[in-house]
Order: sequence, then structure tokens, then C-alpha cells
Amino acid sequence: MKLKTSYLSAAVIAAVVIAFPAFLGAYPLNVARSVMTYMALAISWDMLLRSGQISFGIAGLFGLGSYASAIAVMRGGMDPFLSILFAAAFAGVMAFALGFAILRLRAMYFSITTLALMEIFRIVMHNLHDFSGGPEGIVLSAPIFGGNSTALYWLCLAGLFITIGVSWYFEKSKMHLALTAIRNDETSARSNGVDIFRYLLVAFVITSIIQGMMGAIQIQSYGFTTPETAFDANFTLLPLAMALLGGIHSTIGPMAGAVLLGVASEWLKLKIPYGHLMVYGIIIILVILFMPQGLVGLARRMLRGSDKSGRKAGASHE
Amino acid sequence: MKKASAILAILALSVPAFAQSGNIKIGGTWPLGDITGKQGSMAAQQAVDEINAAGGILGRQLELIVIDDELKADKGAAAIEKLVTVDNVDVLMGGMASGVALGQIPAMKKYGKIVISTGAASYKVEEALGADANWYFHLHPWDYNQGASYAQGWDEIQKKYPAIKIKKLFLAYEEGAFGKSSFDQTKILFGEGGRYVVDGAPFKSAAQGGGDYGSMLETAKAFKPDLFLWAGYDADALPMLEQAKAMKFNPGVYLGAPPGWPIGFQNSKLANNVMLYGMWAPSINDISAASKKFYDGFVAKYKAEPATYFAPLSYSAVYVYADAVKLAGTTETNAVIKALEATKYASPLGQTITFTPAKIIKHQGIKNQKILQWQNGRQEVIWPFESATAKPVYPFPKWK
Repeated sequence: MKLKTSYLSAAVIAAVVIAFPAFLGAYPLNVARSVMTYMALAISWDMLLRSGQISFGIAGLFGLGSYASAIAVMRGGMDPFLSILFAAAFAGVMAFALGFAILRLRAMYFSITTLALMEIFRIVMHNLHDFSGGPEGIVLSAPIFGGNSTALYWLCLAGLFITIGVSWYFEKSKMHLALTAIRNDETSARSNGVDIFRYLLVAFVITSIIQGMMGAIQIQSYGFTTPETAFDANFTLLPLAMALLGGIHSTIGPMAGAVLLGVASEWLKLKIPYGHLMVYGIIIILVILFMPQGLVGLARRMLRGSDKSGRKAGASHE
Repeated sequence: MKKASAILAILALSVPAFAQSGNIKIGGTWPLGDITGKQGSMAAQQAVDEINAAGGILGRQLELIVIDDELKADKGAAAIEKLVTVDNVDVLMGGMASGVALGQIPAMKKYGKIVISTGAASYKVEEALGADANWYFHLHPWDYNQGASYAQGWDEIQKKYPAIKIKKLFLAYEEGAFGKSSFDQTKILFGEGGRYVVDGAPFKSAAQGGGDYGSMLETAKAFKPDLFLWAGYDADALPMLEQAKAMKFNPGVYLGAPPGWPIGFQNSKLANNVMLYGMWAPSINDISAASKKFYDGFVAKYKAEPATYFAPLSYSAVYVYADAVKLAGTTETNAVIKALEATKYASPLGQTITFTPAKIIKHQGIKNQKILQWQNGRQEVIWPFESATAKPVYPFPKWK
């Protein structure tokens, strides 16, 4: 019954979100696109985190996807929509190849390597002047769908739905058991027959595909990219903060964090034009200090608390 | 029935008049966390307040709505969407970084609102705009305009001051689009016909997490340039000087070309005799009444000195638009575009702004920059000679 209700709620929310363009203007749709992009990145980061691996390479794969899509359109004459699929596949192939080297690493060694990879990708794009446009980047002839706000919104939403679907699958399939076992104790997981490298590789490749796809959607939506915009550290840091704020190791946590931080960022900017970034930073620090389990953790604690008091009250009545 | 039709007709006729009432709204996007955007937006507000205090335009008050573009393309594009669709502004203004402008252009093209741009020097922005963007009025010179004016400036300076001899030029450029396009333009314009020998090296700007200029300065020192020029951001100004001093790097001319200088730069002992490219300095107050009026108004209003030419440039943008609306007698886009084309505004930058065609777009405002020098805590104009406020100090003194 509980499961049915949650499916129904998800379907209603999805329907409302799909119908947003019918009652929202170009500006809220633009803000929504930004929130959805960060949301997809936050979810994908969390998906790998469920195995205990902390990646700082989101921006690297996001940027790689941006460039793969832009170059496929500019140099290969590929259809912009197909180029998004191509970019996702390209990011996946790169992650597959890199995975053999870096997924042997653990803890901070893995994190630092992914951070370094991000920088390496940026430097490569910087220096391949004739191919990638160098520091001045690539300007496409027009954004995808002629820059139509509704179509761009739906494109981004499609990317987000795919991400949520995959993340949900991660939560509900044996992937969840395997990744959790790896996170809790690798030795015990291995002794129980979990093929650790295979599961890590699958998680790394799939999350990289998502990050590459979102990068491609971003470049196709704005019609240009430069190494500074595509590999911007914010594409790593903000999804991280969003997932931590919402609550890690779940799909709903990063989603809640992305909505809250994304909307708060825009709202603060309009209310405090000259100091919003400082306030935004303070909010993130306070939340991480005082709500380490995130909003979802807090909600669960509160629900458990009300359940307990309800049971106590029930017992005393008896 | 007839009566109802008459009422409807009167209402229909009165709609345009109604649409033209209320405040004239100016939508501005600047990077407010950066000195250029912060002071640019403050100066635009100063111009709005001055115009309103004098009775407004066509009996209407001006209203400036500012949104921070955060130096990010997606934020800049969202700001345009909001200003046009939510705030219903009459004109768009502002800008600094080319990367942000590139993100905004699709939205600007979609709405076709008049844009008076105060930034975006990269030729890529002009290419993205295309020849049809007749609503786009670009006040800031393009990178190729700047390069050409510097080449002309140094030719003329050497002719007038024979002691200054420049043959070898080294350009240190921040590794982003701004620095790289500056380097490319310098190589083309200074390298033409072998007049100058040009070399360069990139560096990671302190504004983007860098700040170590050692290897770049080593390369520059080995090149032994007559003129050392760096194209980066305000955050690079002092650390680069410190490191140049530590390495005893002494070029004949030490010149910086950031969009804005750090506040208080002149208080550093290292700052004296550093040259710079720019459009404006407080010393222009000595030769321009418009500059003095702007400067005095800014200091009185904000109790701070304008530290970047983006301040008088943004101030000018508001006046250019206000004058055009006054001339057109309406805020209707086509009429204002026509009036803007007739602009002749004696700006605080020490020059009159008019719009003439650039390589691609039809409406280019300023086409040249100035060569200035920090002398005893003041930025003095060295070139163009008609705006000069001091003679150049040459060579750059040896480090003590």
C-alpha cells in the first residue's frame, strides 16, 4: 500500500513537472533547467558514493560531454540531438578505459585522481587549439531547438528523468546490496562473492554517462562552450553540497538538496544582489555543520520521533 | 451596441499610450562580485538618479533593475529571461565577460530588445551576434580594436619620445579566452611587417586559483623584452609585481591590461611607473568636465573612488540610452534604434561616443583604448596625446 502511494505521488509530481511550461514563463523554466542540471549531477555523484568512492571528477566528465557534443556537431556535422547521445556514450567509454586504472584506488587517492583528471581534461581542451577552439572555445551556429524555452526544458527534464530512473534502479536492484556491501566492508563483500571491481566499474561508467549527457545538454542549450565554462569547478562543488544538504545514499536526498539550494541561490540573488554569494556560502556551511545527515536524515529522525511518541501515547491510553 | 464599440475603440487607441506610461525600465546584468560589475552597476544607478533628479525622460522616471550574472553564462542567460519576461524592461544594459555574453546572445536574439553592452571584447561575441543584430549597441572596443589602437599608440609614442625604443614585446596572458584572444590580436597587430618581435607565455590567473607566475616570468626574462605586457585580472596585479621584483625582472616598460585594478593599488610602493591600458582614469577630470561631473557624483554618492573604466562606461550607457529616448520621443524599439544611431554623447571617458560599423555588427561605439601610467599614486594618460595628462616615465625604474 505504502509502495503504491509513493509510486502514485511520483507519477503526479512527474506529470506536474512535465506540465510546467504550460503555466511558467521563460525565466522560471531557465532557472528550473539549471536546478535540474545540478540535480542530475548531484544524484549521479551520490550513486557512486553509495559504493564509498568519493569522486571529485564530475566537472571533468560534464566538460568532456560538452566538448564531445560540440565537436561532433561542429566538426562531424552530427545532428545536435544525436550528439547528446554520442557525448554520453563517449563519456562512458572514457570512464570505462580510465576505470581500469583508477578504480583500484580507494579513499582520498581515488578522490584526488578524479580531481586531477578534471584538470587534465580542461588543460587538454585548452591546448588543442585547432580542434577544440582552445581557450576561446566553440560557438555553435544556434542552440538546439532554436533556443525554444519549452523544448529546452523538456530536454533537460528528459536527462533528469533518465538519471532518476537509473538511480532508482540502483536503489532497488542487487546493485544496491553490492554497493552497500562494498562501502561497509570490502573484505566481507568479497568473501560473500561480490565482484567489487565489476560493480565499481559499472557504477563509475553509468554515472559518467549521466554527467557527460548533462554536459552535452548544457552546451546544446546555450550554443557555446569554453574550457572555463565546461570544466567549471562549480559543477563538482555545487552537486556535492546539494547531495550533502539533502542527504546522501539516496535518490530523494540530492533531489531535495538541489531544489533547495538551486531556488535559494536564485532567490538570494534577487533579494541581496550585492552579497548573495556570501549568504549562500554561510547557509551551506551551517547546514553541513548542523545537519550532517541532510534534510532527508532530519525528516526521518523527526518521523521516527513522532512514531515513538505516538506509540508511547497509545501505550499510556491502553 | 454603437456605444460599446466606441468605448472599445477608445480603449484600443489608449493602449499604446498606457504602455508608454510608468517608469522606463533598464535591465542591467553585471558580475557584482567583481569590481568591474560592482562599480559599473553603481555608476549606472548614479546616472539614473541624476536623470530622475533632473525630471526624468519624457516626463517618466528611469528605473534600473540589476541582476548579478555571477560571471556564469547560464546565470547571465537566466537574468536576460527574467528582465525581459518578468520585469518587462525597455532596454538591456551591462555585461563584462565575453563568456557570459555568449550565453546571453540566444535569449537576446529571441527577444530583439535593445542592448547597450558595456563589455564583451572577444571577436567570438561579434561572430555569434552576426550582421543582423541591429538592436545591439556595443560600447566597449572589440579585442581587435584594442590591439590596433595599442599598436598605433606605441608607434606614435616612440615617434614623439625618441628615447623610448620598443622592438621586443612579451605578452603574459591569463590562460582563459580573454588572455588568449589578447595574445592572438597582439601577435597579429604588432607582428605585422616585422615591426615588433612578439613572444608570450600563459599563466593561471590568481582570480582563477593561480597566482604563481614564476615560470612565465622566467621565460619573459630570458626573452629580454623592451615592453612586458600582462593581460589578466586585478588579482594578478600585485603578486605578479612582487614576483617580478623577487626575480629582478626589469623590462623597459612594465604594462598591465586588466579590466579593473585592485582598489588601493597605487598605495603599493611597487605600483609607481607601471603602465596600463584602459579607457579612463580620474586624471581625465583635469581635461574633461563630463569626467569631473561623473567622478564627483560617484564619490559623493558612494564615498569611494571609481577604480575601473567600467564605471564611467556604464554611466555613459544610461545617458546614451536616455538621450536616444528623448530624441525619439518614445521607447518604441525601432524609433530608439534610429535615435541611437544618431548618438553624439560627450562621455566622461574623455571622448565623444558615436556608433559606427565594426567588422560584423553595425553599431560599434568606442574603438580605441588609452595608454596610461601610474605616477605618484595617479593614473596619468600618456596616449592619445589629445587626452594626455602627463609625459611617460621611461624606462621602468630598476628594482631596489
